[in-house]
Amino acid sequence: MITNFLQAIFNGILTGGVYAVVSVGLSLVFGIVDVVNFAQPEFLMMGMFVAYFLSVATGLDPIMASPLVFLAVFLFGALVQRLLIQRVLNAPLVAQIFLTVAVAMVMVSGAQLLFGADFRSAPTFYTTKAVHLGPFQFNLPQILAFCASSIMALLLWIFMERTDLGRSIKATAQNRTAAILMGINPYRMYVLAFAIGTGLAGAAGAVILPYSYVFPTIGHDWGLIMFTVVVLGGLGSVPGALLAGLIIGVIQSLTSVYFPTQLQNLVVFIVFIVTLAYRPAGLLGR
Amino acid sequence: MNPAQNPDRLKFVYWAILAAVLLLPPLIFENRGYYLRIATLVLMFAGLGGAWNIIGGFANQVSLGHAAFFGVGAYTSTLLLKFFGISPWLGMVAAAVIAGLLSLMIAVPTFRLRGHYFALGTIAFAEVLRVLFLYFKGITEGPVGLSVPYLGDSFWHFQFRGNLGYYFTALTLLSLTCFVAYRVKVGRLGYQLRALSNSHEAAEVVGVDTYRAKLWASLLSSMLTGAWGTFYAQYLYFIDPDTVFGFWTFSVKMAMVVILGGLGTIWGPLVGSAILIPLDEWTSAVFTGNLSAVSRLIYGGLLIALILWQPRGLLFWFTEMSERRRRKRRSLGNPETETGA
Repeated sequence: MITNFLQAIFNGILTGGVYAVVSVGLSLVFGIVDVVNFAQPEFLMMGMFVAYFLSVATGLDPIMASPLVFLAVFLFGALVQRLLIQRVLNAPLVAQIFLTVAVAMVMVSGAQLLFGADFRSAPTFYTTKAVHLGPFQFNLPQILAFCASSIMALLLWIFMERTDLGRSIKATAQNRTAAILMGINPYRMYVLAFAIGTGLAGAAGAVILPYSYVFPTIGHDWGLIMFTVVVLGGLGSVPGALLAGLIIGVIQSLTSVYFPTQLQNLVVFIVFIVTLAYRPAGLLGR
Repeated sequence: MNPAQNPDRLKFVYWAILAAVLLLPPLIFENRGYYLRIATLVLMFAGLGGAWNIIGGFANQVSLGHAAFFGVGAYTSTLLLKFFGISPWLGMVAAAVIAGLLSLMIAVPTFRLRGHYFALGTIAFAEVLRVLFLYFKGITEGPVGLSVPYLGDSFWHFQFRGNLGYYFTALTLLSLTCFVAYRVKVGRLGYQLRALSNSHEAAEVVGVDTYRAKLWASLLSSMLTGAWGTFYAQYLYFIDPDTVFGFWTFSVKMAMVVILGGLGTIWGPLVGSAILIPLDEWTSAVFTGNLSAVSRLIYGGLLIALILWQPRGLLFWFTEMSERRRRKRRSLGNPETETGA
């Protein structure tokens, strides 16, 4: 009994670490560009497809390929921001929301046209391997995904806190006018932030590929998790998103032990709504 | 005499054109045909857009979860008909009432939210309902969906052979929707909503009870949306949670017709629907099988282009154009009006 409980907690932490990195980009983009990117789950899907085709074409392991995937999705995200999102930064809210919704629509249908609606997987030699630790058992791909996610989170932290570029991005978010006076071009920072945010989602997509199917509408399954994590952590808060990712992972894992699977997401929704209602700023919100 | 000089006559001309356009489809299209079906769907989405517009357009509270009310409306009347044999017309009233009650419930946690947060909160509610309706299979049949029992071509049972009966029902319901939207827009509530759409704080300062105003707008909007849900169930004879509570199928689509036509206008939803729905039907008829995604691609691409070009919708662009032309004509034609005023 207690073993089951602890096992669920550990599993939750493993998935939660991935959730954190999947979602952190969304929070980053909101915090800096002030736009909620409803297409963010689609960038995860894109990352998965890039990793999948890299793996099929070159045999490259998806987790090893994640820096390349990051780069590809980063560039695409930069284009989307520069060509589309940038133009509606001062437009009414409806225009911002529906522009990103439309981008999501185009990305999903584009993927359907290019790749068809099939479920694909890129199994690796460790996909079905498990690790036994005392009474506990862990799936190797999930452990690897967790480790890769932790590294990404660490790199993001170093970039944001320890490099001039990262500090410039933060400065733009804190006080745009002051940042401009310091010689920072805010629009360039927006492009950069959006590209990093989407790139991270893409890289996270590569990391989960060893144990997850990829298909054009997979973003819909992830959208709920992403938005809940980001709202719980506080829209715009990067550390908040990382913490909330772990929490949501654990909550989801525990509910799957004690509730029927169909209701697994219901608990996540309720966390989402309760957070919005009672603490819209989130756990670590500004 | 030039009608443009007489606003009343101009108005009459506009109404006559509108009436002719709306009465034309049943005259020229076959009752059982495909075209009258599209025309009916155009009216339905115009009505849904009009209902969404009351809260989304007038008050600028961008709801992305209106499928919640739509789905509840569809299930209310269908379950009442299936289990108790209650006429869907009464079911439609019940649907509106239950959707309205639901909107009051949703209001408590969501009305404190602004902007993006409100949009996210409304999505979550629609999704919760979708999950619940999928789960309680005993009543709703879950993902299998519910078929509306066929009881023959009868007005009382809200079932008609062919499209004609549905077309006129939709037209009536659309008229009601437009009427409610119009009354809201020109009335006290409309001013309050417009005030709070810019800034809640500023509206509060001038004495608007923003919570109350949003509550009324949301109530009216959700009741109309619920009634349209019943219409949909009766028209299609089949509902399932993934469709009627769907984010893409309804929540987004009913807002899209408004954005396309004109946010916060009375006729914008009709304009948007008249463009979007035939386009949608046409593309999904042309691109089938492996190419079926082309329809969505065109859809999304069109929306992107429109938002970048005219974020306030086609109707806004049209009135701006005609205004500009009129001003030009006036300054060229009779200069005395300029100096006389």
